[in-house]
Amino acid sequence: MAVTHEALADEMFHMVSEYYGKKNLKAGDLTKAMIAKYGEAECTKDDCKAAIRILMDSGRCVYSYFGGSFITLPHKEGAAPD
Amino acid sequence: MADQKRDTKLLDELEKGPWPSFVKEIKNASKTSPVCDDLLGQLELSYEEKKGHWKHGGIVGVMGYGGGVIGRYSDVPEQFPQVAHFHTMRVNQPSGWFYTSGSLRTLCDIWERHGSGLTNMHGSTGDIVFLGTKTDELEPCFKELGEAGFDLGGSGSCMRTPSACAGMARCEWACYDTLKMCNDVTHQYQDELHRPPFPYKFKFKFSGCPNDCVASIARSDMSVIGTWKDEIQQDDAEVAAYAAAGMDIQNDVCANCPSKCMKWDGKKLSIDNHECVRCMHCINVMPKALRPGKERGATILIGAKAPIVQGALLASVLVPFVPADELMDTLKELVSRVWEFWDEYGKNRERIGELIQRVGMSNFLDAIGLDPIPQMVTAPRDNPYIFFKGEE
Amino acid sequence: MAAEPVKRITDIGPPSYEKFLHPVIKKNYGLWKYHETLAPGVLCHVAESGDKLFTVRAGSPRLLSVQSIRLFADLADKYCGGYLRFTSRNNVEFLMDNKDNIEALKKDLLANGFPVGGTNNAVSNIVHTQGWVHCHSSATDASGIVKAVMDALYDRFTHENLPAKLRIALACCLNMCGAVHCSDIAILGVHRKPPKVNHDTLPKTCEVPTLIASCPTGAIRPATVNEKQSVEVVEDQCMYCGNCYTVCPSMPLNDPDNDGISIWVGGKVSNARTTPKFSKLAIPFIPNNPPRWPEVVEAVVNIVEVYAKNAKKYERMGEWIERIGWPKFFELTGIEFTRYHIDDFKNAGLTYARSTHIKF
Repeated sequence: MAVTHEALADEMFHMVSEYYGKKNLKAGDLTKAMIAKYGEAECTKDDCKAAIRILMDSGRCVYSYFGGSFITLPHKEGAAPD
Repeated sequence: MADQKRDTKLLDELEKGPWPSFVKEIKNASKTSPVCDDLLGQLELSYEEKKGHWKHGGIVGVMGYGGGVIGRYSDVPEQFPQVAHFHTMRVNQPSGWFYTSGSLRTLCDIWERHGSGLTNMHGSTGDIVFLGTKTDELEPCFKELGEAGFDLGGSGSCMRTPSACAGMARCEWACYDTLKMCNDVTHQYQDELHRPPFPYKFKFKFSGCPNDCVASIARSDMSVIGTWKDEIQQDDAEVAAYAAAGMDIQNDVCANCPSKCMKWDGKKLSIDNHECVRCMHCINVMPKALRPGKERGATILIGAKAPIVQGALLASVLVPFVPADELMDTLKELVSRVWEFWDEYGKNRERIGELIQRVGMSNFLDAIGLDPIPQMVTAPRDNPYIFFKGEE
Repeated sequence: MAAEPVKRITDIGPPSYEKFLHPVIKKNYGLWKYHETLAPGVLCHVAESGDKLFTVRAGSPRLLSVQSIRLFADLADKYCGGYLRFTSRNNVEFLMDNKDNIEALKKDLLANGFPVGGTNNAVSNIVHTQGWVHCHSSATDASGIVKAVMDALYDRFTHENLPAKLRIALACCLNMCGAVHCSDIAILGVHRKPPKVNHDTLPKTCEVPTLIASCPTGAIRPATVNEKQSVEVVEDQCMYCGNCYTVCPSMPLNDPDNDGISIWVGGKVSNARTTPKFSKLAIPFIPNNPPRWPEVVEAVVNIVEVYAKNAKKYERMGEWIERIGWPKFFELTGIEFTRYHIDDFKNAGLTYARSTHIKF
């Protein structure tokens, strides 16, 4: 394995940050993007799964549900009372 | 605390009548939980105005999980500050909803410490539903649940909490061990249950026989329904006993048989088992005399769902029969191929049943490596618009 | 990096069911021979070994306080060695090996307001959703209607005197958390108006791309209102699912005058006799009338009573209707047939009458 799970997690975090407010990304979008970048030999679905777990457990990203689950940056949501 | 300060004259009407009252339950809980008092207030307002007062919250949860918590906020928090946050936690039920008194008390104690004290036993998908808590209480509640041996269930684009009928624990018709299957599948796919990886939800439901007590054929993306291959087990003495006790076997049993595979000559019931479609009617009517055969297993079906987005679907046959002892391995293999295909081609919010409708069952079968067989359809196509493949 | 996180317990899954099984169940697991019904709500399962397991089933309101769950736990301790379960239709079942405890348990349950019944040819508990108690997209309440309908059908729960089993379900909007679409009688909340866009709050509370993507039918388009980025709804394409409101609190679609109830009949999930089927539209709309929805109760009771009087033994609602035909169903129940009963969604033609088989 050429890419470490930590490095994949970092890269996913950058991708989520870049798209924040423009497009919501699903776990599958991040996985597909990483595999496209590194090729299946270097980066498997299971590697991406492990990376997503590292990313979410670090608290840098959170899951959101908008009629489907997405990965996004932590923020105060519109429905929450002040 | 216990003083009745809230005027709930509309809700009070629902304390009348013989059926157990949910209003009494909320009032009961409000004796120890001030949150419930504001819940009553907001609900009374809904009854006055004929509309709901909740807003959806999309990002609350416990650390690392994307499922198991449903965010909810009041749209009138100034009036009812105690329910400004009122999130639901889904707690994964034990298979078949079996409990001991001690385990229920443990759950009650945890929920009284960290939430409203109101529950649903159970939610639609099968979870124990803890109804109403604040964001700050989610993590401590989750911690105590974990220490007590419980975990959260699914929500969002997760595998949803699988559920099963009582099965072999209390039913002579269970054609495979539904409780074990449900428990094993739930443990096998913990990551998929807690960290939403899919285009949308994915449900498993395990029914032990074609009576389908957990509505698997209507409500699960992957439906496993027990059935048998050999002959119905028949006890002639007990058949005669039913007749002697006044059962009209010709009308009650034979005439209701969908494949008309049974004959009653006044003394003996004969069944042409090759014609039997395993509907369960005769067995349901004469449980002492007839039982499913001994060569037991299950039919695996795919794609049921409620209407959103493209309309409701019933599940359809994928594998007509898998022997009980091969069921877990076969299911795991199938599921991995189905998920692979769905990951690749499914759009956001597209259930597997809808994806199959969109791409066609034949393409789906190609992708997961199953051969088409006539048991999968009620009839072959009746339109001539056949898309022949290039190489054929 | 943040400080070393405390070790958290995750992904342990549910506790094993094996910890919660009655000793008689453990001993006879998978070795049951037959069962009998001793009385409505009371079952006796007999094992190959000759052991017997008795079940007493009671209705619950589904929405339960910890106080009531503790009461169930106390009753289970008193009569059942602490063993109990819940059913897929929100009933509670007490499991015991001592037949002598049945009557005392029933008495205690009734004294506490929990009726015993719901087995075989009785009405079972109504599977339902959250409604105004907890849901943001509900077109009606759930618990209140269920309470009012079950009050009216109470005797049908405690007696097994219908032609066959009768399964009623309620969902408070067409997202159908309760997946009611295969029930003998389905009570379904419906919205009838598209969401009203609040252009003042929308830019502050909602992400426009997310909002547009949330609509299953693509009915939401970007729009600029008062020089601010907002959206508009193509009303003809809206089927009132409320998903946009899920994403964006500035798209409320609750409407006291236009929300209400529709009633569907003749679905089933069991494969017994006939194949599983969807429920079909009986009544397109009944306005919300809290606290007890008398028009809904009357409509449901009417359908149940007409069915009870006319169906043959073992015929489920849908099987009865298929035998007599839908025209006869509308005639017998006195329900009006309207333009809304004719499907106009995908493959609608499959439900048109395509033969001259007509009863007069």
